[in-house]
Amino acid sequence: MAPILYYGFTLLFFFAAYCVLGWGLNLQFGESGILNFAYIAFVAIGAYIAGVTSSGPPLPGSGQSYVLGATLPFPLGLLAGGVASCLLAVLVAFIAFRRLRSDYLAMVLISISLVMYDFINNYVPLFDGADGLNSVPMPLASTLGLNANSFLIFFAVLTVVIGAFMWLIMSRITRSPLGRTLRAIRDDPDVVSALGKNVFRYQLTAMLIGAFYAGIGGGLIVEFSSSFNTSAWTVPETFIIFAALIIGGLGNNVGVMVGAFVVPVLFTQLPKFIPDIPGHPGLILNLEGAVIGVLLILTMWFRPQGIIPERVRRPDRFLARRTVAAPADAIDADQVDATASPEAAAVDAETVR
Amino acid sequence: MSVTPVTTPAVTATNVVLSGRGLHKSFGGNRAVNGADLDVSEGTITALIGPNGAGKSTVVNLISGLLPPDAGEVRLAGEDVSGWPSHRIAQRGLIRTFQLSRELQGLTVLENLLVTPIAQKGEALVNIFLRPRAVRREERANVERAVEILRDYGLYHVRDNWARALSGGQKRLLELARAVMAQPRILLLDEPMAGVNPALVDQIGDHILKLRTDGITVLMIEHNLGVVERICDHVIVMAEGRTLATGRMSDLRDNPEVVHAYLGGVLDARLDS
Repeated sequence: MAPILYYGFTLLFFFAAYCVLGWGLNLQFGESGILNFAYIAFVAIGAYIAGVTSSGPPLPGSGQSYVLGATLPFPLGLLAGGVASCLLAVLVAFIAFRRLRSDYLAMVLISISLVMYDFINNYVPLFDGADGLNSVPMPLASTLGLNANSFLIFFAVLTVVIGAFMWLIMSRITRSPLGRTLRAIRDDPDVVSALGKNVFRYQLTAMLIGAFYAGIGGGLIVEFSSSFNTSAWTVPETFIIFAALIIGGLGNNVGVMVGAFVVPVLFTQLPKFIPDIPGHPGLILNLEGAVIGVLLILTMWFRPQGIIPERVRRPDRFLARRTVAAPADAIDADQVDATASPEAAAVDAETVR
Repeated sequence: MSVTPVTTPAVTATNVVLSGRGLHKSFGGNRAVNGADLDVSEGTITALIGPNGAGKSTVVNLISGLLPPDAGEVRLAGEDVSGWPSHRIAQRGLIRTFQLSRELQGLTVLENLLVTPIAQKGEALVNIFLRPRAVRREERANVERAVEILRDYGLYHVRDNWARALSGGQKRLLELARAVMAQPRILLLDEPMAGVNPALVDQIGDHILKLRTDGITVLMIEHNLGVVERICDHVIVMAEGRTLATGRMSDLRDNPEVVHAYLGGVLDARLDS
């Protein structure tokens, strides 16, 4: 098969994986207003745990050392990554969410991320320090008799299927009254609290679901690439996902997909496959951050709502359907106001202004 | 200072549904509330008046749990709720609005109301995925009730607009409508008529009177004393963080000491005009 096709499937994989990551962060930030600058740490924990629970114990003499070495069959390792990320979310929420304004919360979260990074990078027995994991087996490859090339195609498609399933779950959550309450908390947590809702509980829910998506996304990445180390989750990696959300459209799962395509795929992964400019090796990759930064600034200037903005939800649509079914009530209330008494409607509008 | 506290027969020990005793709250060195007492009777509209800086909004914040009191006690239907977080107090039926309209900007007008009911089935993950029909049924009932309220408040035609796009007056109405959607037992309104035109002041006044008819107890901060006289059964006067006097508006306006010592004659002049 032509190498370009492998590139294509690799990009397809990254697109699907970043959609999963994007949806998780969108629930936390776009829907719930939690400025989770530690998001990449949740991705990393998912990746590490999925990795070590699929790789088996470190082989003696290999020079590797990590905890929780096991050979869980796919997709249990992946799920373990998601669950581990959720456990981290509980811990972080209880540390950081107590009466902190969102900007301070963001600073606490970025600090947590940096502390974790330093710890994992330097404490070798945990996940082998800066070397990280580098021999994570290809899931299902031996069962299905796949070689490295056919595995790449298989796993890219599998990730798309998993992504589609997670899309369904996420859309149902964001469309539900829970999604609405989360968006209300994003807008004004004091008001929501004054309406009788325990804001912390809802934020914790958003953290947990988002963390699960982060963990699964991280797990998919480690199982696809067989390796994961601290260079994969530096702070800029968090901003790539944030940039994807903002450029694609915050608070809109379709916007997240567009953002995942534009930023992590088009501007981060694709340039890795573009041949070097003669005489300027590495220039294309070095420009990546600058290009994404410019794209972000242009979005803020010209389309702050993103490529696909948050949409208006109409929970009363069923009422309109009902009026169609019953012709006796077929006049919409707007029309009733306007036709029954135009003067009254005008006075009403005037008064309200 | 010699002030004659005015009491009214409307407040008796038996029908007090909300009370504050010895409330204190300081911000740095500033004693915003300094020993305020108040009683609100069930089924009445009570006004909380006083000059700017008297501590009225802080008292409302203490009662509603937005701020914890430094000292003092808040009782809601006989239960000591001092220092409770606001969501727990709201769950007991006390709902508040804010001095500056705080609409949920990124939600539509209809969604602003729909977010209100407490413990909706669709707010729990397990129901969203395992009991979707029950969620849908409850949502429909809520939508129907919200639509009815929006029609009452003249906001139906803007139901699908972002709340941030409303005019100032519409935001006031939305805030009130949202509080009504919560089916409160007690409603705390922090200057519900601030910055609205006279016609809308009357309209909001009528809405509040109707709430009383529906059995809702109202405590409202209000500077428009004409409105206070028209719709309020009882008035609590505050100044310098304390309760100065309570009574009917007609009693207070006849009390020259209260008028001149604490409102600088403004009350008198406004009522005479």
